[in-house]
Amino acid sequence: MKNFKIDHRTKSGLEVLDLYGELDAHTASQLEDSLKRLINNQKCNIIVNFSELDYIASAGLGVFMAYIEDVRGIGGDIKLTNMNDKVYNVFDLLGFPTLYDILENESEAVEKFLNEN
Amino acid sequence: MDQSDKNSELESKFELKTVLETSRILVESRNSEFIINNLLLILMGRLLVPRAAIFIYDSRTNSYTLKKSKGLPKLEEEKQYKILGKEECKEVAYFIAEKADASIKKLLVDVGNSLFFNLRTNNNHHGILFLGGKANKEAFQEHELEFIEGLCIISTAALVNSQLFTELTNTYRNLDRRIHELNTLFDLSKEFNLLVDREKISRIFKFALLGQLFIRTFFLIYKNQDEISLLTSSGLKKQPDPSQIEHIFKTTEDDVIEVDERFANDYPWIYENNIAALISISVQNEKVAIIGVGERANKVPYTETDFNFLKSLANLAVISIQKTYFLEERIDKERMEEELSIAKSIQEGLLPDPIPEVNGVDLAARTISSREVGGDYFDVARTPDGNTILAIADVTGKGVPAALLMANLQSMLHVLLPVDITLSEATERINNLIYKNTPSDKFITFFWGKYLSTHKILRYVNAGHNPPLLLRKNSDRFEELSVGGLLLGAIETMAPYEQADVQLNPNDLLISYTDGVNEAMNNEEEEFGTTRLKKCILKNRDKSSEEILDAIVQEVLAFSNQKLFDDLTLLIIRAKELSD
Repeated sequence: MKNFKIDHRTKSGLEVLDLYGELDAHTASQLEDSLKRLINNQKCNIIVNFSELDYIASAGLGVFMAYIEDVRGIGGDIKLTNMNDKVYNVFDLLGFPTLYDILENESEAVEKFLNEN
Repeated sequence: MDQSDKNSELESKFELKTVLETSRILVESRNSEFIINNLLLILMGRLLVPRAAIFIYDSRTNSYTLKKSKGLPKLEEEKQYKILGKEECKEVAYFIAEKADASIKKLLVDVGNSLFFNLRTNNNHHGILFLGGKANKEAFQEHELEFIEGLCIISTAALVNSQLFTELTNTYRNLDRRIHELNTLFDLSKEFNLLVDREKISRIFKFALLGQLFIRTFFLIYKNQDEISLLTSSGLKKQPDPSQIEHIFKTTEDDVIEVDERFANDYPWIYENNIAALISISVQNEKVAIIGVGERANKVPYTETDFNFLKSLANLAVISIQKTYFLEERIDKERMEEELSIAKSIQEGLLPDPIPEVNGVDLAARTISSREVGGDYFDVARTPDGNTILAIADVTGKGVPAALLMANLQSMLHVLLPVDITLSEATERINNLIYKNTPSDKFITFFWGKYLSTHKILRYVNAGHNPPLLLRKNSDRFEELSVGGLLLGAIETMAPYEQADVQLNPNDLLISYTDGVNEAMNNEEEEFGTTRLKKCILKNRDKSSEEILDAIVQEVLAFSNQKLFDDLTLLIIRAKELSD
C-alpha cells in the first residue's frame, strides 16, 4: 500500500487538508471522500496543503476537477499550496493554474480568502 | 587628426559599444517582445528618430504583422499590413519608404527620409523595421546605416533564437504531456488489472479523464448483453432518462463525434450539458460504450492526440469493466455448478442404497442421468407387512425441474408406504397431489408393484409408464404389464387406477425401464427401440439380473455413441428357483 494520508484541520476559520505520500488512481477516492464530507457540511473555503505530497497522478487531479464547481457554487473555493516542483509541474502541464489559485504557502491562501470574502 | 575625424572616431567607438552591449543583452534574452522593444528604443534614442515600427513576416500567409510601433498612432499592433511594393525588397538590406505599398505609406505620417530595414538572417527574411526620418530632418549617414544594419542583424538573430526557444519549450511541454498521458495509461492499466469492482474502475477512469483532459463534465454509457446504462458521470446538470441513454448509444456510430447545434433538437440533454464530443468504444467490432466529454475548463479545443488518449484510456477501462461482468458470470456459473453437484448427491441419496435384498428374487436396479440431476426414479422399499414395494418413474423434462418433482414423488411414496391402503388408492392419492402441486405440462409416468414374497405374486399399477416386459421361463414371448390408468399429474383422478396380479415363477424375468432406454438415439437419429431391447434380453436371459442390466446399458451406450440425451433407468427382477 502507498502511504497516502489526509489530515484535516482548521486555520483562521478555513478548512485545511494536508496530503501525504502518493495521490494516485488508487488513493484518489480518499481525497474524494474528504472533499465530499466538507461540501456536505457546507464547509467550502478549503486549502489543500501539498507540502508532504510526493506524487500526484491524473486521477488525483480529476478529483479537484470534479468538485471545484460544487465548491464555488456554494460560494467557496479550493486553494492549493506548498507544492513541490514535481507536483506543480503536473498541475501546470494540464492547465490547472488557469482555474485554480496555486500558492506558495498557507498564509498566502488565507490572505486571499480574507480578501475575497 | 582634425576635429571632425576625432568626432567620427568617437562616434564609431560609441556605436561599436552600443552594438556590443546590445548583443550581450540579446544573447541572454529569450523574450521576443523585449528584443523588439529594445531594438526600437536603441535606434530611436541613438538616432533621434521619433517614429519607428517592427513588422514580423509570416511566410505561410506571406503577410506582415505589426509587433510594436512607436509614434505611429494610425498603426494597430497585431494587425496585418501590406508593406512591400515589390518582392525584391526582401533581398536588400534597406530601401526607402517611398517604395513601400501605398496602403502602408499613408499610415506612416511622413515618409520623407524614412527607411525600411530588412530583418534577416543569412537567407531568411523575418520581418521589417520601419525607421522614420530623424527629428532634425537630416538624412541618415553612411556609418549610421551600417550601425542600424548591424543592430538589425544581431536583433534578428536573437529574435529567431527566442522563437526557436519558444518552439522548443512548446515541444518539450507537449512531449511532457504525452509522457504524462503514457504514465497515466500505464498506471491505470496496472490499477484496472487488480480491480474487480466495477464501480471503482468507473470512478478511477472518471477522475483520470477529468484530471488529464482538464474537464468537468463527463459520462460513460455501457452496454452489457442487452442492457444499456449510465455507468458513471460527473458534472451533468441534466440527467438523461433511460430512453435517452439508449437513443444516444444506438445512434452514435462514428469513432469521435464533435457535438454541434444539430444535437439541440435530437439530444437536448447532450446539448444542455455542454458535451463537446462523443466517443464510441468497440471491443472486437462490437460497440460496448459511449463516452461524452464536456469542453475543457480552459476552453482549449480537443486535438486528435487528446482523442487518441481518451480512446486508449477508455478501451482500458471498458475492457476491465467487461472483465468484471465476465467474472460475475463465471462466479454465477460456478456457484450453479456447485449447487447442482450438491443437488446430485441429494438426489442420489433419495435412491435406495444399498438396494435391499428381496426374498426369492434376484434384483438389480440403476439410474444414469444425462445431466447432473435428472427426472428418473426407482425405488425398492420394505412395507410394514414384510413385503416389498418396487417402483420406477420418469418425470417429463430434464434437469432441476424434473429432479424437484422426482424428489416430491419419492417423499409421497415413502409417506404412503406404512399407510394401510391398496396400491390403487395410493396411486390415486399420488396423482391428485402431483396434479395439484405442478404446472399442467409436468407429468410423471409411473409403474409400481408390491411383491408378495410368500405368494410369489407381483401386484402392480401402471400409471402411463412404458409397460415392463415379462419373459416367462421357456417362452420367447414378452408379456407387457400395462394394467393401471393415466399418467400422474395430468388430470385429477376420475376413474380409479386398476391393479393387477402376476404370478412370478422361478426364472421368470421382469424388466422395467424408462424411455431413456428405448428412445436412445444413434448418429443417424434412429431410436434404440424395444425390438433391440428384447433381442438383448433374450440373448442374456440366462444371466443374473445385474449382468442383464450391464448388458443392456452397454448396448444402449454403444448404440448412442456413449451420448445419452435422456436419463436412463432399469429395474430388473428374476424369480429364484425354490431351492435358491
